Amino acid sequence: MGSDKKKFTELLSVNRRNFIKFAIGGAVGTGLSPLPWKLIDDTAIFTQNLPWVPVPETGKFTKVRSHCTLCPGACGIEVRKVGDRAVKIEGRTDHPVNPGGLCPLGMGGLQLLYNENIRCKSPLKRVGSRSTGEFEPLSWDEALRALTHQILELRSNGKAGSIVAIDGYNSGSTVSLMIKRFMKAIGSNNYIRLPSMEGETAAVSKLMYGSDTPVAYDLENSDFILSFGCGLLEGWGAPGRLLNTWGLWRSAENRENATIYQVEPRASNTASKADKWIPARPGTETALALGIANVIIRENLYNKTYVENCTAGFFEHEAEGIKQRGFRDIIVENYNPDRVSEITGIGPDMIISTARAFAGAKTPIAICGKGKGTLNGDINEFMAVHALNALTGNINRPGGVLIGARPPLSELPAPEVDEIASESLKKPGLTLGNAVLKEYSSQTSAIAESILKGDGQEVDTLLVFSSNPAFTIPDGGDFYQSLAKIPFIVSFSPYLDETAMMADLILPDHTYLEKIDDMECPSLQYSFYGMTQPAVAPLYDTRNTGDVIIRLAEMIGGTTANSFPFKTLEEAIKSRVQGLFDCKEGSGKYNPSDTPSKFISAGTGVTPDFKDFKGMWKQLKNGGFWYNPLSHIKNNADIFNAPESKFEFMSSRLKSLIEASTAKPASDTLEEPLYMPHFRGSEKSDEGYPLMMIPYEMINLSSGWLPNPPYLNKSLFDSQLKGDDSFVEINPETALAYKLKEGDKIQVTSAKGSASVRVHLFDGAMPGVVFMPMGFGHMAYDDFSFGKGCNPNRLMGANIDPLSGQPAWWYTPVKISKAI
Amino acid sequence: MEKREGHDNKYGMVIDLDKCTGCGTCMVACAAENNVTVRADESDKERSIAWMQLYKIDNGRPFPDTEVCYFPRPCMHCDEDGRGGHHSPCVSVCVATATELDPHTGIVSQIYARCIGCRYCQAACPYHARYFNWWDGYSSFKPFSKGMERSLSPEVSPRMRGVIEKCTFCHHRLMRAKTKAYAENRRDLREYEYITACTEACPARAITFGDLNNPDHMVSRLIKNKNTFRLLEKLNTQPKVYYISSKEWVRKLADNYLPDQIKPVSGNDI
Repeated sequence: MGSDKKKFTELLSVNRRNFIKFAIGGAVGTGLSPLPWKLIDDTAIFTQNLPWVPVPETGKFTKVRSHCTLCPGACGIEVRKVGDRAVKIEGRTDHPVNPGGLCPLGMGGLQLLYNENIRCKSPLKRVGSRSTGEFEPLSWDEALRALTHQILELRSNGKAGSIVAIDGYNSGSTVSLMIKRFMKAIGSNNYIRLPSMEGETAAVSKLMYGSDTPVAYDLENSDFILSFGCGLLEGWGAPGRLLNTWGLWRSAENRENATIYQVEPRASNTASKADKWIPARPGTETALALGIANVIIRENLYNKTYVENCTAGFFEHEAEGIKQRGFRDIIVENYNPDRVSEITGIGPDMIISTARAFAGAKTPIAICGKGKGTLNGDINEFMAVHALNALTGNINRPGGVLIGARPPLSELPAPEVDEIASESLKKPGLTLGNAVLKEYSSQTSAIAESILKGDGQEVDTLLVFSSNPAFTIPDGGDFYQSLAKIPFIVSFSPYLDETAMMADLILPDHTYLEKIDDMECPSLQYSFYGMTQPAVAPLYDTRNTGDVIIRLAEMIGGTTANSFPFKTLEEAIKSRVQGLFDCKEGSGKYNPSDTPSKFISAGTGVTPDFKDFKGMWKQLKNGGFWYNPLSHIKNNADIFNAPESKFEFMSSRLKSLIEASTAKPASDTLEEPLYMPHFRGSEKSDEGYPLMMIPYEMINLSSGWLPNPPYLNKSLFDSQLKGDDSFVEINPETALAYKLKEGDKIQVTSAKGSASVRVHLFDGAMPGVVFMPMGFGHMAYDDFSFGKGCNPNRLMGANIDPLSGQPAWWYTPVKISKAI
Repeated sequence: MEKREGHDNKYGMVIDLDKCTGCGTCMVACAAENNVTVRADESDKERSIAWMQLYKIDNGRPFPDTEVCYFPRPCMHCDEDGRGGHHSPCVSVCVATATELDPHTGIVSQIYARCIGCRYCQAACPYHARYFNWWDGYSSFKPFSKGMERSLSPEVSPRMRGVIEKCTFCHHRLMRAKTKAYAENRRDLREYEYITACTEACPARAITFGDLNNPDHMVSRLIKNKNTFRLLEKLNTQPKVYYISSKEWVRKLADNYLPDQIKPVSGNDI
């Protein structure tokens, strides 16, 4: 009995064992009962009744016409509004650039306006260390005073030249001109534009055609397009225009379809949809172009009348008393199809048939500018491509290459320069030490060069406008590193991008849907001018950068203030527009049956339809446009009627630039003059880096300074981005050699850096090449972009283009290894 | 039940894959038009919602003969098989009458308030055109709000968690067009008066939308093209979305053909 009683008390006592028994028993018991399930169900039902899902407010339905300024393409947009809210962006059907359509980025633009996690909502001052994103809001007055103080102090110390501006506004826009003027007025030569295809296009225009305005292509009227890596379907030029034109080329009703040959190492959208894909080895495009030229010359397929009358340097000639071999002989000697085939990997038959098809077409155009054209191009390649255009003589006529004419806007009065400024302006601006083409190519990389290789005294204050160079410059992260060493950085970005995160002061701009702005579109084959209007009232405490600059100038005072004789950006734009009215040409209306290309091929101009300036200004201010379809043709008449203006196969301008340059590009093996298009091969030995990394761009992935709007992320495949990993495309053959399978994690290493990515096996990738998408790898913005994938710019920049001194981003030797 | 003697209108779509550049504008336009939700990780394709989905295919040939092509895939708006048998796969399995084939327009609807979230229709759809909401997509409350709900359109109701959603051929646009027509005392819509957001947005004009019952409409003419086909035609789901491709390898991938089942189209084959 006694022991039983003891057992019983043990059972009742709360000891460790009994407690656990009770707890487990209780848990099992509750689990078997319906109670928890019922509670979970009830909670779910309860929360479903909570008003979490918003009911969109309704209101008056309106439409606001404007322009998309997210790229230099100048597409017309129509913002659909409900009450005060913008609910959708649509393409404008009454617009000459993009009759109805838009690219995905333009379509997703509202998420760049409304996503509050990426926006900069008021002026900010850095309080934490750089790139940590610790900022403190301050008022506009305080922020402007801080910047004014900084500029005045540098000026009084004679260091105005160390103020550097990087301008990402569309070229020719009024804000862009104002930034340039502001820099001059305060006394700095360091107004720098971002590198883009526009720079090299303008350079070729000057070097070979002798024109100050960039060339443009009348693609719509052309019947044969030989594209050297241009991402016609990836966002090249004005994407709205190109995609629309592509649809026309491919429509069954269209009897005069254009034939498109695409030179590219990867089966991109353009390459696949083209009539012929020519996968030349990356970096050998120049050789291919010259190989085609070789066939055209040897088979006498070139346009003799044109070459004899309108070009120089083709035949043997005398230069400064010395007999000089002509383009013809050098090309015939050095670029026979067999040799070019060896270089490019393209069979001699293909080279010959391409040359015959090209020269045999009625209006063939050869075009250049890789990918979207948002990065610098290879001048030598551009020159080779334009030599092809000169051989066919398809220049200065419908369906050919046209020399651009800028819209005849009024000049703003010249900026005033005081003593301090004029003293400071004597000092040259930052230039790349090894650049021959200083005037024509972007000098953004010179900033990093000065800071990382020099003493960095040349850069004290950096002003960054409408761009994100910390992310977009293809220099292996040099620019990003140099930012840390710049004493004072001011960002004018509406977004908290990588560059803004490094800034000491942010003076946020409106987004493109909240402000008045204007643009030209130099890639069009006619002159165009468009204006944006605010589609919605500014959401946050931001200000139009144009107005901010005027205010800054006012605060600095003196001649700087005098250089801005207008109170607002709008006033400045209005004074420029006067010139458009005064020229009595051009139209602000578009009729879908009369496209600009029809005007060009018919040679008839539009009827000027602006009655008075007041009406014109009203129309433009409401997101209107002005265009003159025949401007380029007319401009050509002016340029080509001059007796000395000839297309130069051997550029005399480049010759004198090379002679004047202290940095001589390495001599070449072929004994070809450096001032004519030539192929030099890769200079560096690529030992240790057996593969090539080629970045590629996609139209549905923003690769510039803007983050990808989340809607666009939907259209990315999970073989491009999966979780936080981006993929490189590799040919199965190459993958086999490295024992890699789909989805494997690898490390891609170049001389500049290393990146971790996954492998996607793709037959359309050239063997031996690693194709990495551009636009991933943001280290700023929000959940939708931050830390997703890898930015190929961080691997590039080991190779330098010998003429422009800029990174040769189109070719990077790399090695890969399997990540463990 | 209403007696069905063919539709008054039969709205349909023709997508020309020769023109399609694979840019994805249709997807973005669709998402923006229809208040489709976004997630931080859109690469999780089992959770990502896209009424209009772009598929990439290639001809499977080694370098340098590789070629890619894109298939934009909205809801196919399957129809009756015309033999008195089944109708749209999803409609025939829906236990809640939450999805219906409208006899007057041919549009397969989705009624969120009725949907009980059983996902039978999702399993039944051979085109993977139906998506389930595992979470509330948009929220008006912090910290879930990202400010993007400010661009939601009042014409389309945002979906709550627990329901299926899919392409509706922008049904609200049909309503909008009809309202306008009725106000102008018309009962019939003109061609292109009602088009979907993807049709409108396509920069290459690859998508054509119209009434398949109306012989004057462009879509009726286009489906007579010898290169026209539909996806998984053998299932006899009678999709109202047609594709055109001049390339045989593209047409071949539209269904699981046995070697002798596909007949080559004479003419401009590749």
